[in-house]
Amino acid sequence: MELKIKNLNKTYSNGVQALKDVSLNIPQGMFGLLGPNGAGKSSLMRTLATLQQADSGTAMLGDLDILKDKAEVRKILGYLPQEFGVYPKVSSYNMLNHIASLKGISNKGERKDLVESLLNKTNLWHVRNKSLGTYSGGMKQRFGIAQALIGDPKLIIVDEPTAGLDPAERNRFHNLLCEIGENTIVILSTHIVDDISNLCNNMAIICLGEVVVKGNPNDLTEGIKGRIWTKAIEKDELANYQSDLQVISTHLKAGKTVIHVLSDNQPDASFEAIAADLEDVYFTEITSRMDATLA
Amino acid sequence: MFKEIFLFEIKYRLKRPATWSYFGILLIFGLIVSIGGNGPASEKVFVNSPVAIATMLSTISIFGIMLSSAIMGVPVYRDIEHKTENYYFSYPISEKGYLLGRFFGSMSVLFMVSLGLQIGLVIGFAIGPFAGYEEPERFTVFNLWHYIQPTLMLYWTNFFFAGCIFFALVSLTKKVMLAYAGGAILFITYLITLTLTQDIENKDLVSLLDPFGLGTFQNIIEYWTPEEQNSLTVPFKGMLIWNRIIWVGLGLLAFLFTLFRFDFQRFLNKNYKSKKKNDNLDDSNNNVAAALTKIPSVSKIFSKSLNVKLLFSLAVMEFKNITRDNFFIAILIAAVLFLFFDAWFGFPIYGTPSLPLTNYMLEVKDFTYVILIFILIVFMTGEVMHRERNVHYNQIFGSLPLPNRLVYGSKFLALVMISFVLINMILVSGIINQIIKGYFNFELEKYFTDLYLIEFPKYIIFVLLAFFVHSIVTKKFIGHVIAIAIWVLLFGLNSLADVNNNLYLYSYAPGYTLSDMNGFGHFAEALFWFRTYWLACGGVLLVIGYLFWKRGTDSGRKARWQIAKERLNIRTISALAILFVIFIGSGIFINYNTKTLNNYITVKQGTIGRANYEKQLSKYDKIAQPKVIDVKINADLIPEKRTAKIKVLYKMVNKSNEVIDSLHLNWGAEGLLKKEVNTFTIEGVAPKLGKRYNDFGYEIYAFEKPLQPNDTISMTLEVTGSYKGFPNEGSGSTIVYNGTFLNNSFFPSFGYDAQGELTSDQDRKKYDLPIKDYQLPEQTDEWGVNNLLFNDDADYVTFEGTVSTAPNQIAIMPGYLQKEWEENGRKYYTYKMEGELDFFYNISSAEYEVHKEVWTGKSGEKVNIEIFHHPTHTYNIDRFVKGVKHSMDYFSENYGPYQYRQIRILEFPRYSTFAQSFPNTVPFAESFGWVGDFSDPNDLDYVYTVTAHEVAHQWWGHQVTPSATRGSNQISESMAEYSSLMVMKKEYGVDAMQNFLKEELDRYLRSRANESKFEKTLLDNDNQAYVWYRKGGLILYALQDLIGEDELNKAFKAYMEAARFRPKAPFTTTVEWYDYMKSATPDSLQYYLEDSFEKITLYSNKVTEASYKKVAGDKYEVTIEVESLKNYFDGNGKLLATGDKANLLEIAIFDNDIKNEQGMKIKSPLVLEKVWVKSGKSTFTYLTEKLPIKAGIDPYNKMIDRIPDDNLITLEEILD
Repeated sequence: MELKIKNLNKTYSNGVQALKDVSLNIPQGMFGLLGPNGAGKSSLMRTLATLQQADSGTAMLGDLDILKDKAEVRKILGYLPQEFGVYPKVSSYNMLNHIASLKGISNKGERKDLVESLLNKTNLWHVRNKSLGTYSGGMKQRFGIAQALIGDPKLIIVDEPTAGLDPAERNRFHNLLCEIGENTIVILSTHIVDDISNLCNNMAIICLGEVVVKGNPNDLTEGIKGRIWTKAIEKDELANYQSDLQVISTHLKAGKTVIHVLSDNQPDASFEAIAADLEDVYFTEITSRMDATLA
Repeated sequence: MFKEIFLFEIKYRLKRPATWSYFGILLIFGLIVSIGGNGPASEKVFVNSPVAIATMLSTISIFGIMLSSAIMGVPVYRDIEHKTENYYFSYPISEKGYLLGRFFGSMSVLFMVSLGLQIGLVIGFAIGPFAGYEEPERFTVFNLWHYIQPTLMLYWTNFFFAGCIFFALVSLTKKVMLAYAGGAILFITYLITLTLTQDIENKDLVSLLDPFGLGTFQNIIEYWTPEEQNSLTVPFKGMLIWNRIIWVGLGLLAFLFTLFRFDFQRFLNKNYKSKKKNDNLDDSNNNVAAALTKIPSVSKIFSKSLNVKLLFSLAVMEFKNITRDNFFIAILIAAVLFLFFDAWFGFPIYGTPSLPLTNYMLEVKDFTYVILIFILIVFMTGEVMHRERNVHYNQIFGSLPLPNRLVYGSKFLALVMISFVLINMILVSGIINQIIKGYFNFELEKYFTDLYLIEFPKYIIFVLLAFFVHSIVTKKFIGHVIAIAIWVLLFGLNSLADVNNNLYLYSYAPGYTLSDMNGFGHFAEALFWFRTYWLACGGVLLVIGYLFWKRGTDSGRKARWQIAKERLNIRTISALAILFVIFIGSGIFINYNTKTLNNYITVKQGTIGRANYEKQLSKYDKIAQPKVIDVKINADLIPEKRTAKIKVLYKMVNKSNEVIDSLHLNWGAEGLLKKEVNTFTIEGVAPKLGKRYNDFGYEIYAFEKPLQPNDTISMTLEVTGSYKGFPNEGSGSTIVYNGTFLNNSFFPSFGYDAQGELTSDQDRKKYDLPIKDYQLPEQTDEWGVNNLLFNDDADYVTFEGTVSTAPNQIAIMPGYLQKEWEENGRKYYTYKMEGELDFFYNISSAEYEVHKEVWTGKSGEKVNIEIFHHPTHTYNIDRFVKGVKHSMDYFSENYGPYQYRQIRILEFPRYSTFAQSFPNTVPFAESFGWVGDFSDPNDLDYVYTVTAHEVAHQWWGHQVTPSATRGSNQISESMAEYSSLMVMKKEYGVDAMQNFLKEELDRYLRSRANESKFEKTLLDNDNQAYVWYRKGGLILYALQDLIGEDELNKAFKAYMEAARFRPKAPFTTTVEWYDYMKSATPDSLQYYLEDSFEKITLYSNKVTEASYKKVAGDKYEVTIEVESLKNYFDGNGKLLATGDKANLLEIAIFDNDIKNEQGMKIKSPLVLEKVWVKSGKSTFTYLTEKLPIKAGIDPYNKMIDRIPDDNLITLEEILD
């Protein structure tokens, strides 16, 4: 089964065009959505999660029309929104149990097993009877993950799921996702480029509502291989370099400003070649576009 | 620092749209009220008179609690809400600076916002005269002080007080909910003080306790005449000062307490305390098992039966969520308290409570409860619709595989369940009330029928509207505002703009009354159709709401239309279509019933109709018509079908000097009771219709042979009266299943009747009719003295007839029962009156039980007393009997013999509340006496006193029947009221009379303050009930006190002998009546007659100082300084002159109050004497044997005194 998104458009009532002609083919496995804040990742995910209308375009999951047949989509959907709340006075056990029943798991025994295993899986077992209002940010996030996994979903959409998790939890979550991603479609959005390169076979970078690049992370990195150059410069020189060269990113290293430049040839001898990674792909695509809108 | 916070607060608020919307609402409200001129009761008071402005301001300030809580509840809470408190308090600011700045900033904004009302009023009153809603004469010139004074004294002080309380509550508890709950509690306090106002003894207490000073203010102005209301502002003195000190002080205290108590750390710590739990949760990551845990595979079923199960489980969960909501609990408690208190204090008559009948317990649901329930339903619907969004759970929830209709339906179902709970609160409160009061006849079937079948659907109709609004509007607060605004609009249209067609007012239905006698009566059909109609309308709204209901995150207009289109499937379309068909179909059916069958007209059409009636027909006013001298009746009542077929045979004589060529039948405009003429003959021949005025039911038939003076003819008229369908409003209570009560107006009267004319000066002007000061002609008028007051179609008549009714009922007509039999399954009764009676008879029928007693007079004459009552209403029969017997004793001795051998008291259903005297028959409404609770001897036994009044009418009214001239009503009503007071005096003792006199005085003073024309004198008054009952009773009571009871009664007896059953004109007038009183009054007291009967005279008597000291011989020397003033006023209340002569008044010294035989608290005078008191100050000295407690001038309130309360004061002891 494959998710085929074609020419999806969405303009909000305040005039912001959140999705511009988005077309993607998402096969089984983990799919990463990368993009700066406000790029339209959440808009796309909410649309796929049946929470938002599209102005035009289609999204088909196999034979299933996501935009029309919302009721059917919801039956096979697991969704973790970027921001969500919980009923503060209900325990996680009861809440998961309730959601499981809403997701059509009507057999009590099965529901119990499922909830218990999910609580274990997300490491919430020891606090299962505490009310959700007392949970810390990380625990709440794990609860969110658990609820998304209920009911054997075929399409899992997780919007920045690892925000607020400590490194250990993040790892555990990645493992969990991989485990599940073997035979489902998992769409994952994040700002963290490493997450994608570690987890995903396929990805897309979205910027200002448009898909700017899509494909396998390795292939994409391959595409700019040998074209990324780096140099440590003084801070006040930055403007000069930016006007002359295509500076895709800057960061600090030991007090010095280090720039990455995209260029087919070595700009000058002071630049060193560097092995391109996914982050360079990301900045290559993003920086020029963001600059264009800012200018 | 204060300055910065203060200014920031104001600037912040000024940028908030809410601030401006509050301001705008008040402004618009002010405009509507002022332009519409919906102001004071009396037409003579300017709509923008100082008192009207002050009343409006203080009334609105009560509803301003909401505004106070909205503005003053949030300034501190804002930091919690937006989570700014953690850093805001870390700035270098002090607690006091913070609090003071926020407080005064918000208070300034509150004051500024509140001025919207005044601005609206000022503008509105300037536009008003030109807008045409109210006559330009009713607006007076603008005077800024008339706004400033009440704003400072009442309006702002109320806002300040309420604001302080809310600010303190939220600052100290951090719970914004308390601001709302506090508002409810404040409102309850206010309403409880209102219930106290029912007893005039509590006036001072009310004046102090009313948190808004409205009661205080109203106690000051209650006796103000239109003239005074137009020219004076309410003085800031006395109780008003104390009231303001108490409540503003309380507010200030609350604020100061907050100021000293408030502490940043404590404020924040509360947060930490609750957050600590988080830190305590052991978030260990060592669980190795996690990675190894397998997620089991599960089976998912999405079936219909599962959906149904989920629907209910979600609804139950939602229901639980609502009932756990503190706000819901707070408002519900408040609402139930209202319900309870309304039932507890409800339904007093003359201050005397009624038994807690189930009818009463049910009726309170329409008082305050229904308002709070509506608000609660709106709020809870908002909560339910926003439940997931509120906790940001909406995205997860929205993507769950639940069909839309299931989610939407479960929310609706939850509110239906809530409604069911709310309904049952009425049941619980009612039964608890009944149990506490020791009343155990619960009548559950009445509760169930009324609550579950009639009221429950209404609440669902409320829910449907609220649901619709909250589905369409995705912002919760705006949803609340719109839903409540819709309701306020409906209410405003209905009660202010006279739009009363229930077909156009969402959720409205015809009123109905539950009666013990007639149960739910005939109202069910109308209610069924109206409920169906509005349920269908609500259903349409519900489906439309469903189409637009927001699931997910997209609230753009385009997206919502798109969703609506998607949801518009065969299922929703057919639901819409079916509901729409039911809605329109039932609407058409209702319209057919109310308009086609029952001729619904608007209030305005009614007024125009009355104007046209006068314009077209007044040419027939006072034309000569034959007079009935004998009545024979054959009445077949069919109460089961609400039908009556009645045949009368009138014998009529031309008593005038003119030739009468035609008979004018005045049926009146078509009412609910449809009348069909079966037979109409004059002298056996059907007369020819000359002319018919359809709109007014006025017909003119030419006599075949014109009627010469003294000619006699006979007329037969058989009419079938019945009801068709159901009306928009109105009980149609003339013929009912049990408790039929109809009178001679079933048949047409002869000629034009001035009763149907418009009376209001304003209306008359508007429709080009001359202003009519009097309804009746002068005492010397030829027509007037030739006709009787109550009915000009006859003088005295003879009467007999037969009436039939349902087999289980007893039917009653005037006269003595001759025969009683059963035939064809109907009961028949033949009655025949001996001697004559005035032309005023009733026909009644119900399932009665009869209580019989006999009164024996001094000369051995016997009168049968028969009480026809509803079988269970046996509570106060002995009081009726006692009232009749004592009346017979007093009246037969003092006025002359009773004209009949029987007197009957009948009960009729409670569709109206009154008692009325027909010859030998006195009907009392079901709720008027039969179910009164007289267990407290200090409560007025109105059964006794009203019985005495009505029995007195057998003399004054039915023996002496006055002429149709000005003042004649006094001869029946004032005399009956006087007679009643005298029976009471004999029963309770002269020292108990103040209890009653003060009540009469209070009613007189309050009513004259609301006079819409001008107050008339006792000799001339022709339509002011408060003059003939209240003033008349008082004046005559004081007259017998001045000249002696026996002296006065001798004069009345002589008058009675001269005027009773006067066989022919001229009939008696007030001139004749007054002459008898004058001749009985010594010259020295003639001034009193003149003051009382010919003028409008008010005293200002008061004790300015009173003290005593102990003197030799264990005696007490009492010194009383009094001030006496007598003023003359014109009918508008304008001062004409001040009397300078001395008046005979009572000066008295009292011991503590004691109890009389009946257990009633009465006065115990040590000294009580009549003294000539000069105008101005005088001092009196007395010696008493016993310790004196109180002293007073006119302490029993016999004189008409503007301020009756200062006549009596407690003595102070002077120590040497």
